[in-house]
Formats: sequence, structure tokens, C-alpha cells
Amino acid sequence: MTSGASITERAVCILSWVSALTVPAVLWTLMGFLLWRGAPGWSLALFFGDTAPLDALLRGAPVFDGLWPACLGTLELVGLAAGIAVPLGVASGVYLAEYASGRSRQVFSFCVDLLAGIPSILMGLFGFALILLLRRTVAPAANTGLLLSALCLSLLVLPYLISTTRLSIEGLPQELRLAGACLGLSHGQVVGRILLPAAMHGVFSGIILAVGRAAEDTAVILLTGVVANAGTPSSLTGKYEALPFHIYYLAAEHQSPAQLTQAFASALVLLCLTGLMFAAARLLHARLEKKWKTGTTS
Amino acid sequence: MENGNNQLNPCAIRIEDLSVRFDGRAVINHVNLEVCQGGPTFLLGRSGSGKTTLLRAINRLNECFPGCETSGRIRLNLGGKWAEVYGPGTPVEMLRRQAGMVFQSPNVLPLSVERNMSLPLRTALGLSADECAQRVEQALREVHLWEEVRDRLAAPATTLSGGQQQRLCLARALALRPEILLLDEPTASLDFKAARQIEDLLAELKSRYTLLVVSHSLSQAHRLAEQVFVLRDGGRVERLAENVFRDKEALLAAMDELV
Repeated sequence: MTSGASITERAVCILSWVSALTVPAVLWTLMGFLLWRGAPGWSLALFFGDTAPLDALLRGAPVFDGLWPACLGTLELVGLAAGIAVPLGVASGVYLAEYASGRSRQVFSFCVDLLAGIPSILMGLFGFALILLLRRTVAPAANTGLLLSALCLSLLVLPYLISTTRLSIEGLPQELRLAGACLGLSHGQVVGRILLPAAMHGVFSGIILAVGRAAEDTAVILLTGVVANAGTPSSLTGKYEALPFHIYYLAAEHQSPAQLTQAFASALVLLCLTGLMFAAARLLHARLEKKWKTGTTS
Repeated sequence: MENGNNQLNPCAIRIEDLSVRFDGRAVINHVNLEVCQGGPTFLLGRSGSGKTTLLRAINRLNECFPGCETSGRIRLNLGGKWAEVYGPGTPVEMLRRQAGMVFQSPNVLPLSVERNMSLPLRTALGLSADECAQRVEQALREVHLWEEVRDRLAAPATTLSGGQQQRLCLARALALRPEILLLDEPTASLDFKAARQIEDLLAELKSRYTLLVVSHSLSQAHRLAEQVFVLRDGGRVERLAENVFRDKEALLAAMDELV
């Protein structure tokens, strides 16, 4: 009996070790493979083609055969989508955690779960249909573009933000609420000055999830305005290039090994770009937390 | 209830026919109580007799819990005027600043020592940085904590010892300039020495604030109290005569009989 139990225990122990090690192993294999295939493709020409880099960076000279427009497009897309989704998602999460009661909480949570289950291609179709509707009714000149993609992407990532915000506020100890209330803070002040800052860690992990999802999604932008050779985004309603689409396009339609290498190099660029965005989010988080905890950022 | 307040200070808290229910279950039933200014007034009773609920009814903190229903009337004597605690025109935030509260275990916010003090001052009162710094120092001196923390104001409050944290909580309430302090077993989570420090503080503060203390410690009540009430299980409140709680044996006998 005892030996049977100890064998099971050992087996479970080994299994958990293997499972735990699988995650970093897969991650590093993936990164290694990407580096191996992509790194040879990294050069200034990859980013700027035949255009002089300084001209492109400083004077906005058009880049025809490089990743620079796609990098800018992805950055603007993610920035816009986050700009729409983060305030909305955090506010909805706060509402669900602190203000909604009984029936309305049930209905709203159900809607959020439902939204989380919608495949991204449907979100793209929704955006496309929306433009068709607009064209037939109030705005005959409406067309797919950067803003529409950002809107659809923000709908796609909204559930992550709502759930993480809500769960991290609900998980805070009751003492925080009581401490705030008995110091004469109103409910709104308790939420804004104590609960939300205390839940900041969770909120930011939601933001990182959302940014990652928005940066990699191809299905939504495919139907809402991305094209292969648009150049740097000129306006909110204009067409644009984006890295995930560029990678997809090159990988699917490459005609030479050099183009495939370029696809791998672009994938590496996308990975670095999201990494940079995560780092920026972490930095902002650290600064905000310091400001809340000590009242200064220095 | 015996009404023998004549020789004591004027009344500061008047509770009439107070009942509190949580999800329909009565925790406090038709309680009447008069607490005089100064004190400390001690509220004794068994665990679960509703002492904490009674205390939280005074600053309406019960409302932070779902399913709470309160009926009856509580009035506070604030600056010579009677304020209706459950009156429709009484702002609950003002009320909670005027009747500050200290909890059983020190509930410092996960912030620096200084921010713990200044966050309510800046947020609830909208004080400027200068006024705020002044009040923080004054309140910390009042609880004899200033010398201990003046060099650690930027350190997290959770790095202070339990006794220091409890004094910080007391100072945080005092900085809002209350008239009444509600203390819910303020020494229960502290060691002997830290508890003694808090007790000494209560003895100092009673000349400036009305103190209402919920406690399990009979000896504490015996040493410090000016007025003692016992909350019985049926929700009745008995007032103990001074000759009873001043005499240890008599106090023990009375408690045995009442709870």
C-alpha cells in the first residue's frame, strides 16, 4: 500500500517536473529556431529596402521594399487599439467588480464571456460588414482602414482586459475597502485611489495579454484594411501595412529561399517589437506603482 | 437601562432602539446606549454578541457588507450639535472622519508610512502638501511614533512592527481630526508591551476625544474604563456600576452572571 502510494507520488512528481520544463523548452526551441532562420535576414535593407534609412526616419521618404512601414503600421494599430480598449476594458472591469449587482452583473458577465468566445475572423467580418452598411447609408465614401482595424481589434481584446481587471479587484482583501471607507473616502475614491492601484499588477498583465493579441492578429486586419504595399500609414482611415500580414503574405507566396528568410526575419522583428511594447508596459507599471506607494516617481 | 450619567460628562453618542440584521438574521436587537464624552467607555461581551457590529453601526461601516439592514436611531454630539447618523442629510464620509476607527489587526494600506497618512488627507480633505506634512507630523507625535519613523517615512508601512502599525492606524485616524474614536479590540493582536503602549495612549487621548473601546480584556477595562457596558447575547445592554468594574473580583462575578 505504502509502496504503491510512493510510486504514484514519484510518478506525479516526475510528471510535474516534465510538464514544468516543457514550457521553457518549447519557448526556447521556438526562439532558437526563429533566430537561426531569421537572424541571417537582418540587415538595414530588410527594414528600409533601397531607401536611405535616415531619409526614411527623419524626412519620411517612402520605403518600398522594407519592413519599416509595416513596423510603423503595427505600432500605430496596436497603439490605437489599446487606446480604445484599455480605458473601456478597465472601466467595465471596475463596474463589474464594484458597482454591478445581482442580475445586471450576471447579464454583463455572460456578454463578456460570449465576446471572449468570438473567433477573430468573425470580428474581421463584422468590421467589413459595418463598412458595407456605412457605405449604403450615411457615408458612401467610407472604406476599410487603420481606424476600423483598430476598432475591431479592440473588440477582440476587450474581454481579456475586463476579466483581468475584474478578477484582480475582486481578489483584493476586504480590509482595503474597510480601511478606505472608515477614513472618510467615498466609494468612488476608494475604488480610484486604493482598489484600482492595488489591483494594478493584474490590470497590467491584462494589458500585456491584450497588446500581444492585438499585435499578432492577422484575421481581423485581413478583412479590414491591411494591404501588402501601402507604405507608411498616411491617415486614420487610410490603408496600412502590418507585420503579421507581411509575414503571412511572404510565407504563403514566397518565390525564393531569400524571401522565406525575409519572412523569418520579419517574424523575429515582430517578436522584438512586442517585447519592446511589453517592456514599455512594465516600465509604466513600475512608475505608476511607485507613485501610488510613495507619492513620488523619483 | 440604568441612566446614571448625571455625574459624568455630557453625552456624546446616543443609540436608541438600534437593530442590525444581516441577510435577515438579527445581530443586534433593540439596543439602547448612551456613551458620555471622554471615556474610555468599554463595551464588553462574548465573541459573536455583536460588539463589532454595534461599533460599526456608529460610523455606518456595516453598509460596506452586503445584506445589511439597520433600523433605529443613532445621534452623535459633534462640536455641540447633534448629528443624525442615519439621517438622509448626513454625508457618510464626513461622519466617518468625525468618528474615526481603529481595527483589531492593524490595517495599514500597502503604501509607504507617509502615504498611509497623507492619502486620506489629500483625497478626502483635499489638503495642500504643506498642510498635509504638518498634520502628518502632528498626528504621529500625538501617538509617540514620530521619533521612530521620521527617517523611514518612505519605507513601506508593512515593515513597521505590529505595535507601530497599530499606532500608525491610530495616527491616521487622528490626522482627520475626529471627535470620536471607535476602537475595535485595538490591542488584541499585539504583544504585552505594544498593548501597554496603546493603553497608555488611550489614557492620554481621553481628554481630547471620546473613546469607545470594544474589548475582551476585563483587566484592561478594569484599569482604564470610565464607563463599562456589557452586551448580552439577547441583544440587551447592561451598564456596570463604577464600584463593580473598579473591583476585579466584582467585575469577574458580574461578567460570569451576565454573559
